[in-house]
Amino acid sequence: MSNLDEHPPAGPAETLRLIEEQRAAAIRGLAPHPMAFFGPWGLAWLLGFGVMFLRFGPDGRVFLPMPDWLPVVLLFVLLAAAAVASGVIAGRSYRHVYGRSAVQGAMYGLAWFIAFLGMGTTLGRFDSALSDADTGLLWATVAIGLTGSLHMAGGAIWRDRTLFGLGVWTIAINIVGTAIGSGWHSLVISLAGGGAMLVLGLVLWARTRAAT
Amino acid sequence: MIHAQARLRVVASLSALDEGDRITFPRLQEILGMTAGNLSVHLRKLETAGYVDITKTFSGRTPTTLVRLSRRGQLAFEEYTVAVRALLPPMST
Repeated sequence: MSNLDEHPPAGPAETLRLIEEQRAAAIRGLAPHPMAFFGPWGLAWLLGFGVMFLRFGPDGRVFLPMPDWLPVVLLFVLLAAAAVASGVIAGRSYRHVYGRSAVQGAMYGLAWFIAFLGMGTTLGRFDSALSDADTGLLWATVAIGLTGSLHMAGGAIWRDRTLFGLGVWTIAINIVGTAIGSGWHSLVISLAGGGAMLVLGLVLWARTRAAT
Repeated sequence: MIHAQARLRVVASLSALDEGDRITFPRLQEILGMTAGNLSVHLRKLETAGYVDITKTFSGRTPTTLVRLSRRGQLAFEEYTVAVRALLPPMST
């Protein structure tokens, strides 16, 4: 064992630097990579809603011809993949830490699942009362609204302002997109939602690298 | 006693855990980049001083060692950090 280990650091400034660096290293070691969530989800929204916009544009415009089931299936697949990826990454990053956070994380993950299960099994009732365009908008609006709400709740649980802010932003763009109407809603969500998440992930990543 | 560099690093790392959380020995070792033997020695000294809680338990059938700062350890770390800050010359950031 090195003799250096037993000595105090050379002076108060050095000591504080050591403490802060080690704390930051521990936090980095425990927390998932910022792109781990924002990458898959940002991409899923950007592409999934982007393709939706291209096929089901405003006022029935079709920017890119394709079968009408394709955008929905694509969106669903991308979202499912993002959900699996983020679930696996979340589980892995806090592996070997036991205690309260594990319970919080598990309950939070379960909350997402049950919330969307609930949405999936209740909204269908209203499909027949709406036009095709409005049906699509209803599902998208509710799904995005649910997502924003869960982000805000997550921010509150972990006192994470970034996550809370993302939730507020998500609700805001959902309101704007829905007000403008179907067709535009997809574009708003794709760019201001998916694009924003990708940018946010990159910014957070740059910040953690700058801190080293 | 926590002023020794290595033990300071251990304590600083453990301080990053949420209250109520405990970390496994291998994961802590991974974060610190220390050898198992080295970390063991430091943890034992910190435990003797009452600064860390070490729990030996089972994860399924695998024996697991869980570590966290004790309340006393948390307080000692906080007091130490405050004391060190007070030593900084007034112009430092």
